[in-house]
Amino acid sequence: MTVSRLQSGSPPVRNAAYARLVAERTRFTVIMTVTFLVLYFMLPILAGYNKPLMATKVFGNVTFGYVFAFLEFVMGWVMAAIYVVKARTFDRLAAEAQR
Amino acid sequence: MTFLLAAVIVAITLGITFWASRRNTSASDFYVAGGRISAPQNGIAIAGDYMSAASFLGITGLIALNGYDGFMYSVGWFIAYLTVLFIVAEPLRNLGKYTLADMLVYRLKDPRVRTYAAISTIVVSSFYMIAQVVGAGSLISLLSGGAIGPSLAIPLVGVLMIIYVVVGGMLATTWVQIIKAVLLMFATIVMTVLILNRFGWSFSNLLGAVEQRNGAEFLGAGVKYKNPIDLISLGLALVLGTAGLPHILVRFYTVPTAQDARKSVVWAMVLIGAFYVMTAFMGNAANVLVGKDTITTANAAGNMAAPLLAQALFGGAGTVGGEFGLAFVTAVAFATILAVVAGLTIAASTSFTHDIYKGVIRKGQATEQQEFRVARLATVAVGVVAILLGLAAQTQNVAFLVALAFAIAASSNLPVILFTLFWRRFNATGAIWGIVGGILTCLALIAVSPNIRGIDPPEKTTGRHLVQAPAIFPLENPGIVSIPAGFAFAVLGTLLGARRREGTEQAFEEMQFRAYTGAGVDGTVAAHD
Repeated sequence: MTVSRLQSGSPPVRNAAYARLVAERTRFTVIMTVTFLVLYFMLPILAGYNKPLMATKVFGNVTFGYVFAFLEFVMGWVMAAIYVVKARTFDRLAAEAQR
Repeated sequence: MTFLLAAVIVAITLGITFWASRRNTSASDFYVAGGRISAPQNGIAIAGDYMSAASFLGITGLIALNGYDGFMYSVGWFIAYLTVLFIVAEPLRNLGKYTLADMLVYRLKDPRVRTYAAISTIVVSSFYMIAQVVGAGSLISLLSGGAIGPSLAIPLVGVLMIIYVVVGGMLATTWVQIIKAVLLMFATIVMTVLILNRFGWSFSNLLGAVEQRNGAEFLGAGVKYKNPIDLISLGLALVLGTAGLPHILVRFYTVPTAQDARKSVVWAMVLIGAFYVMTAFMGNAANVLVGKDTITTANAAGNMAAPLLAQALFGGAGTVGGEFGLAFVTAVAFATILAVVAGLTIAASTSFTHDIYKGVIRKGQATEQQEFRVARLATVAVGVVAILLGLAAQTQNVAFLVALAFAIAASSNLPVILFTLFWRRFNATGAIWGIVGGILTCLALIAVSPNIRGIDPPEKTTGRHLVQAPAIFPLENPGIVSIPAGFAFAVLGTLLGARRREGTEQAFEEMQFRAYTGAGVDGTVAAHD
C-alpha cells in the first residue's frame, strides 16, 4: 500500500477525520492497555499472595493457576483480534485525514 | 549426529546469506532489508527473534525444575506483545525511521538526544547478546562432552554471526530467523504431540504424573519465587521491557507500511503464543519422563531439559530414534542462538553506524557507501566485543543478563518512547534524563542485588556471586523500582528543562500527525531528516 507523500515541512492538515482519529485512537489505546495490564497483573499477584487458590484443582489435576495462565493466552489473542478489527476504522480515518 | 545436523543448518543459512549478499546494495538494504519484507515473513521473523534460547531451553528447564513458577515467564513474555501491538508498532513504522534515536530527534529536535538513545540501544543489545553468546558456548560444550569448551565455542558462534550480518545484512538475518522459527515450531509441535500421545491426550493426566512424582506443591505457585514482589517485578520488566528492546523495534522498519507492522505483530503473537503454551507441556513432561536429577546433572540451571526430553520421547538414550531426537533439538537450539544473536548484532551495529557515526560524528553528511562500509565494520566490532565479553562472562550465571536487558529497556527506552509519542510537553532534557536515569538506576540496583552480591559456601566454584557480601537490594529484577524511576526522571527533566526549548509543541503536532496517519511514509524508509 502506498501512502501519499506530503511535502516536507508543510504544516499538519487538520480536519474532522484527523481529530476523530486522534481522539478515538487515544481512547482505545488507553482502555485496552489498562485492561490488559490489570488482567495480566492479576496473575503474578494471585500467584504471589493466594497460593492455595492457584493450587486448587479445577478439573482433573488441572489447577486454577494453569487455567488462569491459559486464559491469559486466550485474552492476548482476543485483544489482538479486537485491535485488528478496530484498526480498520483507524486506517480509514487516517486516509481521510490526509485528504 | 548432532554436529552433522548443526552443520547442515549452518550450511543452509550460510547459503542464504550469500544469496542475500547479492541483493544488498544500499545502507537501507543492510539495516532493514530495504523495507521489503512482507508482513507474514516479518511476523515469523519477529517470532524467530523472540523465541530465544532463553525461552526454548530456559523455560522448559525452569518448568521441569520448578513447576508452575517457570510457566510464569511464558505468560509474561507472550503478553508483552500486547504492549508492542497497542502502543509502539504502528506509530514507529509510520514515522519511517531506522532507529529509536531517529524517532526521538525527529520529535525533540535536539541532536544531543541521538547520542544517549544510541548508547541505550547498544547497552541493552549488549547485555542480551552476551547472555546468548555465553548460552551458546555452554550448549556446545555440554553436547560435545567438553571436547569443545566454551572458550572455543563462544568465538565460533561469534564468527558465524558476524558472517551472517556482514555478508547478508538484514535480508539474510530475516531469513535465518524465519528458518529457525519454522524449525523451532516444528520441533515443539512434534514433541507436544508425542507428549500428549504418552499421556492419553490429556493435560490433566500429565499434571497427575507430575504431582505423583513431586507432590502437589509443584502444580501451584511459589516453588521458585517465595517473595511475591519478585514475581510482580519480573512481570513488569517482561511486559514493559519488550516494547523497548532495540532488536524488536528494528523489525518494524523492515516492512513497507504501518498496516504491515500491525499484521506482523499479530502473526508473531499467534506463533509465540502457541509456542509458549506448549512450554507447559514440554516442561512438565521433561520433569516426568527425564527427571529432575538427570536434568540437573546435565546442566544445573536446567538448560538441557528440552534436548533430553526429545531423547526420551524418540525412544530414549542409546536408541537411534533417541539420539536423532537429541541431535535434532540441539541443532534447532543452536540455530536459535545464531538467529537471535544475528538480530541483536544488526540492531547494535545499525544504531552505532546510523546514529553515532552518521548522525553525530559526520553530522548527517556521510555518503551511502561510507555508511554501508562503516555498518559492516561496526558489525565486526560489535561481534568481536560480544565474543570478548562473552569469554569474560563465561563462568557467570547468565540468566540475570537477559532479565537485566529487559529491565533496562523498560526503565530507559519505554518511558522515552511513550512520552515522545503521547506527551505534548515532553522535551530533549526529559529524554536525556529518562534514558540516563533509567539505565543508572537499573544498573545500580542490579549491582547491589542478589544477582551480584551474595555469600557462597567456600566449596562452590561455579556460579559464584561476584561480590561475597549480603545483597542490599532484595529483588532479582529491579523493574518494580527502576521502571517508575525512569518515568520520574523523564518527567523531572522535562519540567526542569521546559523553558529552554522553543517549538517543541509544534514538533509534537507534526510528529503526531505522521504517527497517526503515516503521512510522508512512502513505501520505503523515508530519507534521514
